[in-house]
Amino acid sequence: MSTELDVPPTNAEGDAAPEIEIDSRRMGELAGASASDVRSREAVFRIEELSVSYGTSLALHGTTLDIHRNAVTAFIGPSGCGKSTFIRCLNRMNDTIPDARVQGQVLYHGRDLYASNVDPVEVRRRIGMVFQKPNPFPKSIYDNIAFGPRMLGMKKDLGERVERVLRHAALWDEVKDRLKENALGLSGGQQQRLCIARAIAVEPDVILMDEPASALDPISTTRIEDLIHELKREYTIAIVTHNMQQAARVADMTAFFSVEVQDDGKARHGILVEYDLTTKIFTNPSDKRTEDYVTGRFG
Amino acid sequence: MARVEYQQSLDALEADLQELGEVALRAVRGAMNALETQDVELCDEVIAFDDEIDRRYHQLEKVVEELLAQQGPVASDLRLILAVLHNAIHLERIGDQSVTIAKLTKVAADLEPGSELVEGLTEMGERAIEMVRIALDSFSARNVERARSLPDLDDLIDRVNRQVAGNVLAMAHAPGTQEWGLRMIVVARCIERIGDNAVDIGEQTAFLVTGEFREFADASH
Repeated sequence: MSTELDVPPTNAEGDAAPEIEIDSRRMGELAGASASDVRSREAVFRIEELSVSYGTSLALHGTTLDIHRNAVTAFIGPSGCGKSTFIRCLNRMNDTIPDARVQGQVLYHGRDLYASNVDPVEVRRRIGMVFQKPNPFPKSIYDNIAFGPRMLGMKKDLGERVERVLRHAALWDEVKDRLKENALGLSGGQQQRLCIARAIAVEPDVILMDEPASALDPISTTRIEDLIHELKREYTIAIVTHNMQQAARVADMTAFFSVEVQDDGKARHGILVEYDLTTKIFTNPSDKRTEDYVTGRFG
Repeated sequence: MARVEYQQSLDALEADLQELGEVALRAVRGAMNALETQDVELCDEVIAFDDEIDRRYHQLEKVVEELLAQQGPVASDLRLILAVLHNAIHLERIGDQSVTIAKLTKVAADLEPGSELVEGLTEMGERAIEMVRIALDSFSARNVERARSLPDLDDLIDRVNRQVAGNVLAMAHAPGTQEWGLRMIVVARCIERIGDNAVDIGEQTAFLVTGEFREFADASH
């Protein structure tokens, strides 16, 4: 399959990292980054001055950041800070909202994701998404996984593919004897891992997760978090979470968004406050607003 | 301000640290007074008083453990808790040094002290007490600049400490005094360690404020 979005294979142990242009305007891309620092890895996304409006209402203002390969990037912040709006721009999910307007640039492996010749369906194959509420199809466990690849013509060795991704999503042992049963019979945590398996079945490059564990109990949450650690070997992951400790546990990089009140005192929009290594954000953030948020002194 | 209870717990923890500092200072003062006046009874009091320092230290450690388990502290809260724990360990060690000074003073009580060396040790002790005071105050005030003045004060103590062995060698003409002096070499070492502990507390002030840990002086000091 050849598209406008062909990307190099994603593999942590893969080819030598390409040289990266340093843009001094970018937060978090600082001198002194060590070789193990994820910021030295290729930028899968380069987001430039991204603003999103719904109708006349500005939701997110002027966001510039890079998302690095084989890293987990977490987006945290209070409600209304634009973090979900932001990650929905990364696979053009906002296209489905009639009055959403996206300004600025989202470069995906150097290509403009919003260029007129880019097929949104192909974008969403490359850049999969997992939502807050597990949303399996009302079909068998097997068909939930097989559906996407079948639609994309990836029919070869489909059974093997189903097994492989279920193993990868740490679900195989629990469902191998009941693949023909309805997926809605699984527990919430199992359903969410099924959705992650479904996302990776079409061989994406990036997985976006919007609050993937907020509807799950602590044990299921731990499993999802373990899975995220595992998946970043092969995929680039962006996760929105309300749970700050979850961001601290799973993410390499963390972006803190906040709500800015406009001059008229009424209108509010989201802004990126600070973007840095997760360890930095949770031990010694640079911005007072980040400090207040992560220590719970916000509001 | 959200998390009112949590903030109160952190404030209380810091107050506990300052109290631990006060009792540790009381131990140092007691030990130095006992040395100066050759007061064996006071030595026993200093030795017994260490249980109180240990009790306060363990209580503070327990509060730290509970805060870590229950509050998930991050950023400056986490640095404060780590710094308080470090400082508490240093203060507990200062208590132990005071006990050693008191024990040695007791052991040497029947010997003839050398007045010049007593004076030198007393001066060292005063400087060490001043350093601990500065270390605790600068931590409380988050005053990194003041904390950074500690290594210079420590140099003065170190200088006196290096002269002690020479002074004791010079006591060869008076065997009783020299035996006392040999005990005092270890006492000087204890006072010198108290100065080092004060510098360590100062370093925690810098860590708390800046988020980066750096030794104030390298090992050659």
